[in-house]
Amino acid sequence: MALQVFSSPSLPRVNSGFGRVLPMATTVLAALIAILPLRVPGYAALTPAFALMAVYHWSIYRPDLLPAIGLFAIGLGQDLLVGAPVGVSALILLLTRTAVLRFRRHFVNRTFPFVWAGFTLLSAAAMLTGWVMHCLIYQTFFSLRTVVFRTVLTVAIFPVAGFALGRAQRTLIGVAAAARPG
Amino acid sequence: MIRLSAHLRATLQRTTPPLLIVLSAAIILLGKADQTMFESLRTTLTDDAAPALDAVSRPLAAAATLVDRVRGLFEVYRDNRRLERENERLLQWQQIALKLSADNHNLQALLKAVPEQTASYVTARVIANSGGSYVRTVMINAGAAQGLARGQAATIGEGLVGRLTEVGQRASRLLLITDLNSRIPVVIEGSHVNAVLAGDNSERPQLVFVDEPQRIKVGDRIITSGEGGVFPPGLPVGLVATLEHGIARVEPYAELSQLGYVLVADYGLSGGLPQPAPVAARPARRSKQPAADEASIR
Repeated sequence: MALQVFSSPSLPRVNSGFGRVLPMATTVLAALIAILPLRVPGYAALTPAFALMAVYHWSIYRPDLLPAIGLFAIGLGQDLLVGAPVGVSALILLLTRTAVLRFRRHFVNRTFPFVWAGFTLLSAAAMLTGWVMHCLIYQTFFSLRTVVFRTVLTVAIFPVAGFALGRAQRTLIGVAAAARPG
Repeated sequence: MIRLSAHLRATLQRTTPPLLIVLSAAIILLGKADQTMFESLRTTLTDDAAPALDAVSRPLAAAATLVDRVRGLFEVYRDNRRLERENERLLQWQQIALKLSADNHNLQALLKAVPEQTASYVTARVIANSGGSYVRTVMINAGAAQGLARGQAATIGEGLVGRLTEVGQRASRLLLITDLNSRIPVVIEGSHVNAVLAGDNSERPQLVFVDEPQRIKVGDRIITSGEGGVFPPGLPVGLVATLEHGIARVEPYAELSQLGYVLVADYGLSGGLPQPAPVAARPARRSKQPAADEASIR
C-alpha cells in the first residue's frame, strides 16, 4: 500500500524544528496566499490552487512531515474562511495526497520536467473532481471554461512554487530527495 | 510494550487518511443538509483570521495604489482633458440638479411627505477574496463592533456590490451580486418592470422572474426595487448588457473583481431580515410573502 511510505526508512530524520514544520507552514501559507485580494480583473475566480502545489511537492519529497490530519485542518479552514461548502477542499487535498503517495516512487529523484508533468495530470484531476463535487452540491452546471483556465494558470505557476519550495527544503531540511534541476 | 506502541502507531498511520477522507465526505453531506450548521464556526474563524489577513493585505493594497499612481502619471494629460470636458458637462447637470432639488423640496412640502431615513455608512477594506472557489464572496475588516449587521447593503461609488451574509465582531463576509446564491429584487428604471437579479458565478448576473420580458432593452438601467425590505429602493446596480435567448444579463456598475474598499450602508431596514434560526421562525413583518431575496441567504 502506498501509505506504508510513512514507515519507510528512506526519509532521513529532520532535527531542525523549522525544518519539521516547514511543509505544514508552507501549505498553510499557500492556502492563505490564495485568498489575498489582488486587484487584478477576474483574478478571484481564476486564482491558482497554491495549496495543491504545496501538497504535491511535500507528498513527493517529505510525506512524513505533511500528515493527513494537517491537510484536513487546512482544507476545512480554507472552506470556512471563503464561505465555500465545508469539506470539499479538505477532501480534495486528502485525495491529492493519497494519489501522490501511491505514485510517489515514480517521482522521487526525477528531473523537474517529469515532476511538472505529473503535477499537470494531478491538478487537472483535482480541478475536475472539485468541479464535479460543486456541480453536485449546488445542483447546477458550472462553466468548465473557468476550470480549464484555472488549471492552466495553476500548472503555469507551479515551476515558481516548486522552485521556492525546493529552495526552502534544501535550506531547512536538507538535499535528500529534493528535485534535481531539469 | 514498545512493539505494541509501534504497531499501534503504524495502524493509526494507515487508518487515519482514509478515515479523514470519509469524514470530509460526511461533513460535505452534513453541510449540504443543514447550511447553517457551520455558521458560528465560520464567523469565529473569520474573526480570528481577520487581523492576520488585514495585516498581510495592507502592503498589497499599498502596492495597488502605487501602481495606480504610476499609471496615473502617464495618463495625466489625457485625464486632465477628459476631466475638463466632464466638468463642463457636470456643471450643467449641477444647475439642473439644483433646480430639481428645489422643486422636489417644494413638492414634498406640499404633500407633507415623510422624509426618508438617511443612511449611516461604514467604510471597510477588503481583506480576502474567495480564492478560486465556487463562491463569489469577499471578507471585509469591519463587523458588529463597527455597527454592521447581517443583510446590510455594500456599495462602492458606482453601484451595489452585495450584502453582508455573516457578521463577526471585527470582520464580515460579503456575498457579491455575482454569487450563485445572490438574489436581489430589482426594477428597470423608467419602465418599472420588476425582476430579480440572480447571480450565477459569471461576471454578469442575469434577470429572472421578469414581469414583462419584452420591455427590457440593452442599455436599460437596473436599480434595486426595495421589495422584501432588505435593500432600500433606488440603489444603482448596473446596465442590461446583453439579451440572448430571452435572458438579460446585467453588467454591474461596480468593478467587482477590483474591490479595494466598500461602503456598508445601514438604512435601518435590518428588521426584515432572516436571522439565525430562532428569530427566523417569526413571521416576516415587512412583507406578506417571503421575498425571493430572503430564501437565498446562507
